Order: sequence, then structure tokens, then C-alpha cells
Amino acid sequence: MEENFLEIKDLKKSFGTGEAKQDVLRGMNFTVKKGEFCVLLGPSGSGKSTLLNIIGGIDTPDSGFVSIRGDKLEDMDEKQLTIYRRKHLGYVFQMYNLIPNLNVKENIEVGAYLSDKPLDVEEVITTLGLQDHKYKYPNQLSGGQQQRVSIGRAVVKNPDILMCDEPTGALDYKTSKEILSLIEDCNSKYGSTIIMVTHNEAIKYMADHVIKLRDGVVRHNDINDKKIPASELEW
Amino acid sequence: MRNPLIKRIPKELASDWHKYLVIILFMVGMIGVISGMYVGRESMVSAINAGKTELNLEDGCFELSHRATPELLENISSGKKADVRQYFIDKGFEEADKEVADAVEKELNEQVKKAIEDGVRAQCTAMGITDEDVISGYIDVAMEENFDTALEEARKSDEFKEAVDEAYSEAHDAVIEAVDEEWNDISEEYKLNDDNFRPVTVTIYEHFYRNESEDNNNDGVEDATVRIFKSDSEIDLASFVEGRAPESKNEIAIDRNHADTVGVKIGDKITVGGKEYEVVGLLSYVNYLTMHESNTDLMFDAFGFDVAMLTPEAFNELTSRLHYNYSFLYDVKPDGKVAQADYSENFLKALITQTLVDDNEIKDYLPTYLSQARNFAPSDIEGDSVGTAIFCYILIAVIAFIFAITISNTIDKEASVIGTLRASGYSKGELIVHYMSMPVIVTLAGAAIGNALGYTVFRDMAVKLYFNTYSLPLPEVVWSPSALVKTTVIPLLLMFFINLFVIVKKLQLSPLKFLRHDLTKSRRTKARRIPAWSFLSRFRLRVLFQNMPNYAVLIFGVILSELMLCFGFGIVDSLENYGNRAPEMIFAEYQYMLMGYKDEDGNVIVTDEKSAERFSCTNLLYPKEKTSMREGMGSGGDESVTIYGISDGSAYVDLAPDIPEGHVYISSAFGNKFYIKNGDVITLHEEYENKSYEFTVDGIVDYEGGIAVFMDNESFNRTFDKKDDEFSGYFSRNEITDIDEQDIATVITAEDISKVTTQLMHSVGEFMNIFKYAMIVLAAALIYLLAKIIIERNEHSISMVKILGFKNGEIGSLYIVPTAIVVTFFTVISLGIGYFMMIWIFHEFLMQMDGYFAFYMRPVSMVLSVVYLLLGYAFVSVIDFIRIKKIPMDVALKNAD
Repeated sequence: MEENFLEIKDLKKSFGTGEAKQDVLRGMNFTVKKGEFCVLLGPSGSGKSTLLNIIGGIDTPDSGFVSIRGDKLEDMDEKQLTIYRRKHLGYVFQMYNLIPNLNVKENIEVGAYLSDKPLDVEEVITTLGLQDHKYKYPNQLSGGQQQRVSIGRAVVKNPDILMCDEPTGALDYKTSKEILSLIEDCNSKYGSTIIMVTHNEAIKYMADHVIKLRDGVVRHNDINDKKIPASELEW
Repeated sequence: MRNPLIKRIPKELASDWHKYLVIILFMVGMIGVISGMYVGRESMVSAINAGKTELNLEDGCFELSHRATPELLENISSGKKADVRQYFIDKGFEEADKEVADAVEKELNEQVKKAIEDGVRAQCTAMGITDEDVISGYIDVAMEENFDTALEEARKSDEFKEAVDEAYSEAHDAVIEAVDEEWNDISEEYKLNDDNFRPVTVTIYEHFYRNESEDNNNDGVEDATVRIFKSDSEIDLASFVEGRAPESKNEIAIDRNHADTVGVKIGDKITVGGKEYEVVGLLSYVNYLTMHESNTDLMFDAFGFDVAMLTPEAFNELTSRLHYNYSFLYDVKPDGKVAQADYSENFLKALITQTLVDDNEIKDYLPTYLSQARNFAPSDIEGDSVGTAIFCYILIAVIAFIFAITISNTIDKEASVIGTLRASGYSKGELIVHYMSMPVIVTLAGAAIGNALGYTVFRDMAVKLYFNTYSLPLPEVVWSPSALVKTTVIPLLLMFFINLFVIVKKLQLSPLKFLRHDLTKSRRTKARRIPAWSFLSRFRLRVLFQNMPNYAVLIFGVILSELMLCFGFGIVDSLENYGNRAPEMIFAEYQYMLMGYKDEDGNVIVTDEKSAERFSCTNLLYPKEKTSMREGMGSGGDESVTIYGISDGSAYVDLAPDIPEGHVYISSAFGNKFYIKNGDVITLHEEYENKSYEFTVDGIVDYEGGIAVFMDNESFNRTFDKKDDEFSGYFSRNEITDIDEQDIATVITAEDISKVTTQLMHSVGEFMNIFKYAMIVLAAALIYLLAKIIIERNEHSISMVKILGFKNGEIGSLYIVPTAIVVTFFTVISLGIGYFMMIWIFHEFLMQMDGYFAFYMRPVSMVLSVVYLLLGYAFVSVIDFIRIKKIPMDVALKNAD
């Protein structure tokens, strides 16, 4: 496993000015190995989404840096950042953000288009269990099905890192477990590094690496040697 | 792999098809109209130009008082000037010699008689004979016997020869002196001794015609004057729009435009010169594109004048005066307008001198480049389309803005998707291309369909419009690259850049901002405090504030619509107003323009009419600033100004007494058109000579009938090197009956002015009425698109208030009433804006033309233009209400992220 695949160093970020200034990240440090399933855990306001956005290159830190394979994001201009996201990242959000007038297959193709080495769209659809729905439009799908499409769109790129921002936040228990299993499969099947933001403590048991955040700093940075499959999670 | 986002486009089109249909129809209409105008114009101009060679258009024509001899025609063809001086001298010598010979003969007879008588008397005295009777008897006998011999001897004497030679010499000297004096005057007047004279050789064709009375409904009343040419003419041929040339002597072909105007069709019978003919053809003569009877006519008259073709046999049977008209073609064509003028002047010198030495007389001379009947239509057609195009581009720009706002709304709606795509690695450029593709596709579709219609339906409409006005040949469709640029490239660029600007600006935000739906660049401004009105009123006010940018575009649309309505109503009103005011637009009830101030015999033309007053006039040009709107104008550029020389204390034009030299009055039309005030200095110049005049404006004469300058007659004659007693015509309150018609060039009465408007109303009136209603539909379509945006933007809120329990009626009152208030208020305001803008636009438009008349709208038209727009809006709000009713409640729930 590549050691310092992703390195976060002295990362600081605040919002607002003067009295209204709020430090969201206050010097954060950790590294993630390639192919690791890493969970960022913490309550609301702990800075986990901000951290994810900075790693994803859609937000910038006030100080410190993020580097991927030794390339610092802060050295990249907007064009390079776009290419970075295009080549290396897949995104899954709590809200699925699908394109309403494209069907399931086409929404997944939107991701495939961006990649030089995309996975087979049909295969991804099958993996996600969407074969019966591939010509349906997002508004004809349940929340869980929409999130599967959203994962499909991210995974089909065959990204180095799959960024998941509360992917189960809007889903029920059963569906959440299905989605987590899918993400787990992507990790094992395609070797993608997963960085998942969640406030659901139970999810840490399926991760290789658990980073607990509170008030903008890393409180715990643990390697989980006894991870269990998503299907066995309980909460 | 093709960008999968492309697949959205047809779906987007299908899902919002009614909006795109309206937009595409709009584009198709606009582009079709411009394309049709350009293609129609270019086809027409090309047909007109093709006629020049195909139909053997003359380079000019002249009319003689009687038929020319073959020698005369040959001499004129040579282009050489005749030696008029020598002709006069030879003629003078001939007469003088005859007179001298007669006088000498008479004197010699007397002298010989006297010598014989004296001889007889001397002999009688020597012989002592004193009886007078006897002496007389001897004298008679002597005369009889010796007179002839004596006469012969006397003739042989040196003394006699000397005396005779002297008499001849004296007489010849007197002739030369008289001729030279006369010649100097003539050569000066016609500039016959011009050193720059170059002979212009021409080929001459007989092109005789007769003017006959035409009774086109056979009721015994003359309806028009018809000018008839023979069907075997070799020059100035006709193209047949319908039917054929006459083949038998009871058949006639008449002008197509005249026939349309007065309602004559093929197969109808008309009476010409008292004889009945069957109309077998409708034609367009290459040299009569407009029905100008005389080149000095203010306006052509398709009602009262016609040109026609008869077989030579039928032509010869007519009884009216034969006009010995000859057409000519230059053997080498002149290049350019100045060369045309030069050729024409040189040819005229040959014509004048050759005709003179042949004892013929010129009745009329007209080079084709100055012929109104030939040139009025092409120059008008060329000038037409610029205004229309600019107008259409403004509309396309408005559509582009509507598109941009729609897309901007879509971007707002799809913010999280855009954020996700950007976060996933889609570049800004890819998204810009994606959102740009819809307006570009719609514009391309509009341009394709519009151009297709432009080359077919709209072209035919444009051609029909010109056909209504002018007598033109049937055009063939001409491929026009400039039309393609103006109808496809310009709209596409407008659409492209306006949308690009808005979309690029909109997509500047970071992906994160899109994900957070935080689409304002700046921090939110402080919440507006609003008065403590009822809840519903405050709600409406909030709706109004929230949609300010949309209302701004809506207001612009309303202003534009109202402007279009002002245009539709105003043009018709202005023409009618001009027609009604025609009687005020003439100085005198009768204005006689004379051929010259002297008649054939060289006497100054006078009249006993008490109210008659002399005036002078000439034409100069006033330079117009070149603007893009004036591109391609046929009038040649500068404004034609009539300069009047007015008699002192004139009863017709009110000028201050003793205007200093170089100071003038101008007509109010001149002042209004070029914003000239008292004290301004204007510079006028000759058309073909490099000569200009500067005048200071001392006052303005209230005269809307033309672009004119007034000065006193004496200054006029001095300024333009005229003789002291020279003048151009008479103003008169009553008809002048004691001036020979041959000496009158033209008479202008109030009827001639109203003829202009009658003809214009016939040409454009019908079109304008259609235009007016098209504008109402257009205005309603504009408001429809803009009101739709406002509802769409508020879809979420409307859905939400539905969930809260508001009834459709209440929601309608919340979201439609603010729009209604805005539309009503701004419709009234826009009437004012539209009205004043039209005054300005009309002024700018007239800057392209010669002449001026003011924009006018009747009060009832103003009211109607507001009412029509509001009716259009009422219709749209019904659709809006239906739209509101259809918004489902789950819109608010689904997007609750």
C-alpha cells in the first residue's frame, strides 16, 4: 500500500471576519494510504465537509496543504485543479444531484465521459443493481436508487479517490447499508481509495482508517484492524 | 465518447416545447423578414440591372419638332458639333446676296433707262422737237431698240463691276457682324465653345410615341393619359409580366402596375384615343419603372399615367400628335456618374448644333441617368432594407436576452448538479458550451427555416410590396451572400455573445457555491423595509422586489413592443396627416415652372394674371453626414435642396425686406431635418461642378413641403450668374391661361402634393396595417416569454404556498397582479418613450431619404396602441394563470435539499 498517498498538513480554514470569525479547521494533520477506506467521523460543525471539499480541490485552505502523491493542490491553478478532479476524483453527495432529464444510464455516462480509463457502464449498472431501471429518469427512482446512480456516476470514472459526503444521510437504515456495501465493493473490486465523511459512528467499523474530528482538529487517528463488512453493521 | 450532456438538449427542447416554439417562430419571422427583404431586393435589383442590356435600355432620348432627315441623324450620331457660325453666315450671305443682286438690278435698270431717255431728249432738242408726246414716242422706240444692248454694255463696264463688288462686300460684312453678335450669345448660353468638348458617338433609334386618353372602364370619362409605343421598337423593350405583345390592331399591352392599380386584367377592354382595344399583355418597360409622365413630376402616378404597346398598324391609325422621340445608345459606355454627366453634356452640344443647322428643333432631352421613371425605383429599393434589418436585430437581441435569462434561471435551478459536475471534473468551458448550445441551435434552426422562407414566401412578399409600388420586371431568385451574413451570421453572433456574456458571468462561481446554492456574488443586501400594508400587498411587493431583473427585461420588452406599435400606427397616421396638410404645403394655389423665361421668339414670358408673381429656383446639394444607416443608399448621398429666389414684398413667401447678400431663409422642413437654427451657416454645393455656396440663415419659413432655401430674386440672380430679369416661373392664386403650354415645364397644385400621399398610401398603407397587427402578436409573444420566466422562477415558492393552503386564485393575485401592475404602468410610460423614440427614429430614417415630413400619431392611435398591448397581456395572463394552476405541490418537496 502506497504510504503517503494523501497527505494533509497543518490545514487551517476559517469563515467570516472579526467577531463573526469561525475557525473551522485549526491545524489538521494526517495521511491516507492508497486503496484505504478512510472514514472522517465527527459531529456537525467539526469541519469534516470543509476538509472533504479542500481535499476535493473545490475549496482552499487558509494555510497548510493537501498533497496527492506529493503534488500539492495549492500549487495548482484552476485548470489544473479541474484536471485533478477529472482524472483522480469521484464525488458522492448526500443529495444525489442527478441531471433530471437524463436517464440512469446517461447520468452514469456523464461520469464515464470524464475518464481516460472508465469502467464499462453496463457492468457498473449491473454491479449497482440498476439493470431494471437504466432507462428511468431520476424522478422515477427512490432515494436509494438515486444514490446508487450517483455512486455509479462517481465510480464509473474509475477514480483514484472516491469522496463521499454523508452518502447515507438521506437514506433509511436498510438502504444505507446497501449503499455502504456498494462503496465497500468499489473499494475492494476497483481499488479506489475511499474518503467518506459521516456522523454515523457505526460506519467506522467497516473502515481501514478512522479519523475523528472535533472543533477543527483531529482527536483520534486510528487504524482499524478488525473491520467488518457493511452488511453486518448495526445502528 | 460524445459528451453525454448533449443528450439533454433534445429532451430540453421537448420538455419546454411551447417556449422554444415561440422563440423559434420569433426567430423565423425576424430572420425570414430580413432575408426576404434582402433577397427580394437583390433579385429585384438584379432583374432591373439585367434589363439594361437584355431590354436594350437607352442611354438617353431627345424629341424633335419634326421628323429628322437621315443626314441629321447621321450628323448627330457622329457626336460632332456643327459649325453653327458658318451655317448662319452662309445663310446670311445667301439672303444678303439675293438682296444685293435685286437692288443692283433695279438700280442698273433705272440708270440705263435714264441714259436712253436723256439721249433721246438731247437729240430732240437739237432737232427742235418740243412736243412731249412725240418725244415720248421716240423714247419708247429707243427703249425697245436699245435697252437690252445698253444694259448689257453697262454690265460690262468696270465702273459697274466695282460698284457691285463693293455692295456685296458691305452686305457680307454686315452679315458677319450680326452673326458673330448672335453667336457669342448662343455659344455662351450653351457653352458651345468649350475646349474640353469631346465628340460622343451614338447609335440612334426612332422611338416615336403618342400620348392618348385612356378610359379603362369604358364609361366615356378619361381616366388616365397613356403613352403608346410601337411593338416593333428596337430599343427600350418591355418584359411581359403576364400575357404577350399585341399581334393584331385591336390588341394592346399596358403597364402591369397601372393595370393593378386601376384594376384592369388581361382580356379586359379599354378605350384608348376613342378606340376600343383588348388588353392582351401586362408589361414593364425597361425605361418606365415608375409612372413618371414627366421628369419634372414631383411623384409618379400609377393611377393617372400609363405606358402601352400597340402594333405599328394600330399606332399609325391613332390621330393624336406624333412625338418625334429618338433614343440613343453611346457607342462607348461612360464609366461612373461624373462620366455620364460629361457624356451627356457633350452629346447635348452636338445635338443642339446639328439640329439647329438642319432647321429642326429640340423639344425634349433626357439622359437616362437623370430619368426619374428609370431611377426612382432602384434607388428606393436599395435604401429600404437597412431600417428593417436594424429593427429586426434589436428584436433578436431581446430574444437573446430572454434566452440568457431563461438559461440563467436554469443554472439557478440546476446549481447543485452544476456543483457536482464541476466537483467531478467537468470544466467551466464544457458547461459553458453545454448551456450555449441551446441558443445557438435554436438560432441556427431559426436561421435555416427563416432563410428558406426568406428565399420563398418572404421574398415573394417583399417582391409583392415593390410590385405594388413600381412597375418592375419579373425577378429570378438571386443567391445573396450579403443576405446570408445579415440573416444568419449577425443574429448568430448577437445570440452567441449576449448569452456567452451572461452564462460566463453566471458560471464564474466556484463549484462549492453551486453546491451550496449560494449564487450571489456579493453578500445579500439588507432586507428592504416595506410599508405596513396588508399581508397580500406586502407579499406582492416582495415578489416585485425579488424579480427586479426579470421585470427590467419585461419593461424593456414592453417599451420595445410599444415602440413597434407606435411605428405601425404612426407611419399610417403620418402619411394621412401629410396628405391632409398638403394644401398648406404649397406656396400658391398654382406654381408654374417654365421651360425658360423667354419664349421661342426670345420675348420674356409675361402674364396678365393679377396674382401672378415671379420666382426663380435651382437645385443644390446639402452634405449629409455618413452614418451606418445610410449604407447603400441609392439617392447618391447628399440632400437635394431647392433654392428659391423670391420677388420683393412677395405675397406668397414671407421674407424680411432687404436681406443682405449671402443671407437666406430656410424652410421649416430643412431646419427640422438638419437641426439648423437662425444664424447658422450652411454650405450647399453643385451636384456635378466643383462649386459651393455659403449662406447664413436669417430666418425660417413655415413650409413643410420640402427642403428649401429662400433668398430675394436679385441676390439669386447674382449668386447663380443669371441675367437680371431672369426667373424660373410664377406663383399664382388663379390658373394662368395666357402662357403658351409649350413654355410651361410643370404646374404644381395641392393635388400634386396629395398625389404623393395617395401613391404612398397605396404602396405602403396596406402593408402597414398588416404590420400593426403583426406587432400586437409580437408584443404578446414577448410578454408571454417574459411572464413565463417570472412564473418559472417562482415555481418553488408557488408550490410552497400551495402546500400552505393558498388557493389558486390567491396565488394568481400574488404572482400575476405585480406583473399586471408593472405591465400596465410601463405600457403607458412606454407610449411616451415609444412616441418620442419614433420621432427620433423617423428623423434618422428620413436622413437617408430626400425630403422630410414629421412623425405624427392621432390621439386615438395612442389610446389603441396601449389598449392593444394590454389586451395582448390579458391573453398572456390567462395562460399564466393556467400555468400557475398546473404547478404541482411536490416541486417544493422534491427540491428541499
